[in-house]
Amino acid sequence: MKATLVRRCIRHSLKAAPLLWPVLLLMVSCARHVDTGEDANVTSRGSFEVTARLEEIRGNLIDDPMYDYAHVMKYEVLRVHRGQIPEDTMYVGHYNPAKPRDRVADARVPEIGGNVRRFRVGDLHRMALEVPIDEHYMGGIINKYFGEIEDPVYWAIWTNKVAQ
Amino acid sequence: MNPTRVLWLAAATGVLSACMAFGAQDQRIGQLAKEVAGKGWIVYAARSAENETWDLFVMRPDGAQRRNITNTPDQEEGGPRFSPDGKRLLYRRFPKGTVIHHDLWGFQGNLVIAAADGTNPVEIGANREHPWASWSPDGKQIACLTLKGIQVLDLETKKIVRQLPRKGIYQQLFWSPDGQWFCGVANARIMWTVVRMDAATGALNVVHEFQSCTPDWFPDSQHIIFPSRPAGQKGYGFTQLWMSDGEGKEPTMIYGEDGYHIYGGALSPDGKYVLFTRCRDDGGGSEKSGAPICIMRLSDAPAIGGPSPALRRLHPGAKDAPVLELVDGWEAHWTYAEIGVKE
Repeated sequence: MKATLVRRCIRHSLKAAPLLWPVLLLMVSCARHVDTGEDANVTSRGSFEVTARLEEIRGNLIDDPMYDYAHVMKYEVLRVHRGQIPEDTMYVGHYNPAKPRDRVADARVPEIGGNVRRFRVGDLHRMALEVPIDEHYMGGIINKYFGEIEDPVYWAIWTNKVAQ
Repeated sequence: MNPTRVLWLAAATGVLSACMAFGAQDQRIGQLAKEVAGKGWIVYAARSAENETWDLFVMRPDGAQRRNITNTPDQEEGGPRFSPDGKRLLYRRFPKGTVIHHDLWGFQGNLVIAAADGTNPVEIGANREHPWASWSPDGKQIACLTLKGIQVLDLETKKIVRQLPRKGIYQQLFWSPDGQWFCGVANARIMWTVVRMDAATGALNVVHEFQSCTPDWFPDSQHIIFPSRPAGQKGYGFTQLWMSDGEGKEPTMIYGEDGYHIYGGALSPDGKYVLFTRCRDDGGGSEKSGAPICIMRLSDAPAIGGPSPALRRLHPGAKDAPVLELVDGWEAHWTYAEIGVKE
């Protein structure tokens, strides 16, 4: 009786295996894979590439379809992948930050993007950058650090999320 | 007297007074129309009734003799400016179907220079080249606002003869009639700041901060006209037309009206009259079909239109100026020259 039950269990498990294996593989894969935000765009665009933690967003992000602007945000630099960035803190201007990065490019700024959907303090971003912002972007800038910092403001070309 | 009869009498008196006031206002507008009728031409962009694209039109300042001077069903045109001598026009030409963005149009499309009557249009440069082009006083050069800086282009040789750092100016650059200054919209302490730049040294000064844009010069090159949406209004607020001297001292309102955004501020060549558009939507209406082009006397400023109770409280000395409302359009410009348009 006991042996029959065991045999039946094994038979059922084998029947369900084709369905279970992909789920198990996906789980293992997810557990091992860390999303570093690396992709062909972030590693090739701009002169600088960093992984950084979004430390502060001063002021509200304005979502006004009538007007475009860049909003300067404060980052803690965790790793510099390309270029020389001497400071641990950097200031980055993001174009129309209320929009997801994959939908932000427009007639004024055609070649920017990424996969960040929302800017949240504490998130890690891998970014392709240029500096100074004025040499790469001509438009309104909300810089709540104006008059307070001497640091250059970087211009975000590509912004990907990094899984923590 | 019977109380009902008193009420009727009061109501009738009120209606009669209102009719007389409207009649008087109509008369004042009629006088203004007569006064400006023979003073040159106004050029502006508007949607053509025939082909529905944006074309360039000219009309007398009273709205008479209106005619389409580009008439291009396969293209859109906008941003016309007469040369200082009134003999030529510069404007931008966009592919058919382009949405003309009120802040981007100076970057969009191609720069075109034509005779003042719209004939002999010649494209200068490629698509998106020579953005925010503005005439030099002698009409031989244009100043353009590019990412690299303010570039002065010689129109005969097509060479950049000078370049200055743009110092945060990001749109709507205009060269003063005396050639000594530029004005534009900049990121200074905050964005949407109207600034003035010394064209020789590049020194910059703030003219007006906070939600101010599309500045243009008075003929004296000492004063600047600009729309501004001041803080402290209920909700989003409305854009009013303001003026200031080049140093930003004593800014004063020219015209405001709650319920309408006032854009496209420009002066007649003698500085006596003000051109503007009056639009329900913010931005001036370039994305749709423009807004009514209006004319008022500068001597009637500051003026307030409509009931605008909050605005009247802020500007108790403002007048009820006669405002001549013309056709729907966008970015109008005025010359006193006879431009050779055939009757």
